[in-house]
Amino acid sequence: MNLLLANIIASLSYAIALCGIVPLFPWLTTTPRLAIMAGMAAGIWQNFRGNWPTKNWAYNAAIVPVFLYYSLQYSRANPIQPVVSVLAIMLAIRLGGEKSGRYYLQIQALSLFCLASSSLFDLSPAFLIYLALMLLMVAVELVLLTFYSQDSSMVLSRADLRRVVAAGLFMPLASLPLLVILFPILPRTQLPLWNFLSPAIARTSGIADKVEPGSSANIGETPVLAFRAEMPHQPQATLYWRGTVFNKIVGNRWVRDEMMPFERINSTGPQVTQSIYPEPSLSRTLIALDAPTAISLRRIRRTSDNTYILLGSATKRLSYKAESSTVGILPVANNFKHDFYLQLPADIPPRIRRLADGIQRQGHSDARRIELLEQYFRNGNYRYSLHDLPTGDHALEKFLFDKKQGHCEFFASSFALVLRAAGVPARLVGGYLGGDYNEMGGYYLITEDKAHVWVEVFIAGKGWMRIDPSGFAVNAGAIWGGAPKHNLFRKMQLALDSLNHVWNRAIISYDFESQVDAVRRAGKSLKKLDPGIALKIVWPVVILFAVLIAAFFIIVNRNNLQWPSREERLLRKFYHRLENDCGIKAKRNRQGLYELAAISNNEKVREFVDMYGGVVYRDRKLSADEYKRLKRKLKDGFDKTFQ
Amino acid sequence: MTASSTKYIISAMLDKLCNSHLHGKKEVLRLSVIALLAGGHILIEDLPGLGKTTIALALAGITNLTFGRVQCTSDLLPSDITGLSIFNRDEGRFTFLSGPIFNNIILLDEINRAMPRTQSAMLEAMEERRVTVEGTTHLLPDPFMVFATQNPSDQSGTFPLPESQLDRFLLCTGIGYPPEHLEKEIIMGGGIREKISSIKPMATATDILAARRAVAEEIYLSEKVVAYIYTLIAATRNHLQIQTGLSTRAAINLAQAAKAAAFLEGRDFVAPEDVKGVAVAVCSHRLILRPEYETAHRGELLRTIIADIPLPLA
Repeated sequence: MNLLLANIIASLSYAIALCGIVPLFPWLTTTPRLAIMAGMAAGIWQNFRGNWPTKNWAYNAAIVPVFLYYSLQYSRANPIQPVVSVLAIMLAIRLGGEKSGRYYLQIQALSLFCLASSSLFDLSPAFLIYLALMLLMVAVELVLLTFYSQDSSMVLSRADLRRVVAAGLFMPLASLPLLVILFPILPRTQLPLWNFLSPAIARTSGIADKVEPGSSANIGETPVLAFRAEMPHQPQATLYWRGTVFNKIVGNRWVRDEMMPFERINSTGPQVTQSIYPEPSLSRTLIALDAPTAISLRRIRRTSDNTYILLGSATKRLSYKAESSTVGILPVANNFKHDFYLQLPADIPPRIRRLADGIQRQGHSDARRIELLEQYFRNGNYRYSLHDLPTGDHALEKFLFDKKQGHCEFFASSFALVLRAAGVPARLVGGYLGGDYNEMGGYYLITEDKAHVWVEVFIAGKGWMRIDPSGFAVNAGAIWGGAPKHNLFRKMQLALDSLNHVWNRAIISYDFESQVDAVRRAGKSLKKLDPGIALKIVWPVVILFAVLIAAFFIIVNRNNLQWPSREERLLRKFYHRLENDCGIKAKRNRQGLYELAAISNNEKVREFVDMYGGVVYRDRKLSADEYKRLKRKLKDGFDKTFQ
Repeated sequence: MTASSTKYIISAMLDKLCNSHLHGKKEVLRLSVIALLAGGHILIEDLPGLGKTTIALALAGITNLTFGRVQCTSDLLPSDITGLSIFNRDEGRFTFLSGPIFNNIILLDEINRAMPRTQSAMLEAMEERRVTVEGTTHLLPDPFMVFATQNPSDQSGTFPLPESQLDRFLLCTGIGYPPEHLEKEIIMGGGIREKISSIKPMATATDILAARRAVAEEIYLSEKVVAYIYTLIAATRNHLQIQTGLSTRAAINLAQAAKAAAFLEGRDFVAPEDVKGVAVAVCSHRLILRPEYETAHRGELLRTIIADIPLPLA
């Protein structure tokens, strides 16, 4: 089957363009999106028909207004979108027009630029896949284009094509060793250069620097990754990820006052160790499983309410180890000023005040008062909801007495407010709740929609106790009950995510420090290694490697490396015998067997040659019997003295 | 008559000729017998006095075939060879008097001295194996073999054979001087022309025809040897010094001659050596060299080409 070279090149070009445009597509605005789709479709359709009604000068002219329009859009606040749009539209125009060799090269270059610019927005491992695919195809197409420039109507047979593809693939493969050398040297970014600072993906949920229930009627949820935590599997009910603490009420808002009283935290009990890999964000709060007792990272500050704050801003991907005690109580060793956690805003709605007074009267201890309020919440038929939320200045009052539905901020703020009004020290804790365990990667995956707020109350003699008022909602069991179900799709998502995690750990956040560290660790373990055991480990690897190399060579040279046939083996022995017994050094392949027999003037040689030639020159294969007899003749030798 | 017995007769005949009558002419005799067995003609190119005629006579004598001889000169007419019709007064009609060509073996001596018209008439007879004289077609006897000789050193008054006619000769060979001791023996014994007339025939025309049939039908030509022959002719077509390589007819003739050679060796299949052994004689006179290499020796050139081609051995 023969293939038209032009068709192969066109198909490759469209595939290359796809590799460039697919990763960029989500970040494009509508116009370039439409343009690229139209250009691709028009190009393929016209290729299919073999008819190009629009001339290329028209397309070239069309670029000028596009370029002018986007250059006017360019500003310091918006430097990337116009450039990317122009790139995409230029590619679209090239795809849509008739193509010569030069235009194919332009398509390759533009596609590569498109792919490169997608890394301004996103640094996912998919980029590597697209890049590898594109480079392989570009290499093959470059080889094909050299043929194409000689003869554009050339037809390639399948075998020729296979050879060209092999040559094309060899080029990028040959550059792989170079990649290994360049990887540690070349500078790289750990964050997408443009998108990280862009306000475009503002958070819709997640933890913030304040808690303000009632600011909007609905909350959107995005399952954007917040962080990953490598750790053993934990009971779902203990998965409270502590972030920040809000300790002051200002109007409707809970905010954080840094001038909190000094507490000495005295953690005991079993510890859970985690390695946390947060996604890049502007937040400087470090998250760990409640309650963290230590976070190992340089340049951080631990405040006395047990939050950890990064000093300075994150310039690269973070990763840190944290130790946590998961009993749910944060023991405080010293006597501190409780009044700080009893501050109330001036105008508490009367209904809330009445509720608080009632609880204060009925309960004689803080513990009893908390119990009473919990009962009030449990019996109050409150519902957890993200929609149809109470709003306005008196949102909490409306939540408590009228609407009776809201999200965690409503539950936690109102619970803590009533407790404070009833004289129990309370504060809000912002963080995350739950998470999906990725069995393959051995880590928890926590998305921004898992952001949560709960309450810590101080009980004298015990310390700060975690209470999650959202759990008192009537539908709490339906929302947080049990671990999330893993269907096949979810499992695939998790598998992909572990690939992403490995990519981030090994490639994106790779730096020189970690390389030195790895070398040092390898040196240490090498010193400890027993040479006997080492050999045992190394030998199979060496053998496997040798086998692989041998297999590779055999496959490559399989035409030259055929196992010699019976005839060839006999012939080899025959020459050997002839040299040993008759002293005749035969010119192989240049002297015929009968010629040699005549020269040797030896009856045994003649017999052998007659028998052998009678088979070979009659186009027969040696039968097993003939082979055996010929071998016997060779074994007996041609020596005349033993006749 | 079986193939092995014919083979025996022919071999014995060849041995007798070589050893008893014609000393030192073994290769020419072998090639002559090959031409006879393959049904072809032979052109002997050498100086006078080296025994060209003797060989032809001896071959005719020992095979009991009829022999005719034409000494070519520039005024030789076609009818001198084919014969002519003469008015028979007794019977009152023309009767055909057959010329020397109506013999089993005909010696055309110094063929390049005949004028082209005569040459072409003779060569046509060689190919067609019949002659047409005055509207009547006369079949030539079977077996029929032309034994042509030419003197390569004569230049004046000759008409060199054109390539198309050279191609009709299965083999072309020289004779060469005999080795010293043989030549001394020949000098001592004197010429053997007289003795030749007394050679006892060892075979008959039937034997020759049976041997021809055996060569054509019973000798196996393997694919490997065919590939070897093809490689050889392809090599001559791509050679730098050669303008026109070997034709397909040359390849067919090479295969035929190789079969006859194999028959003489006592094999019922062709070995590459058989091809190698006749290749120079079969092919060298058919090569047309490029003008700038015209003086090169064709036999030597062909030998170097053959030496470069690997033999099929396995």
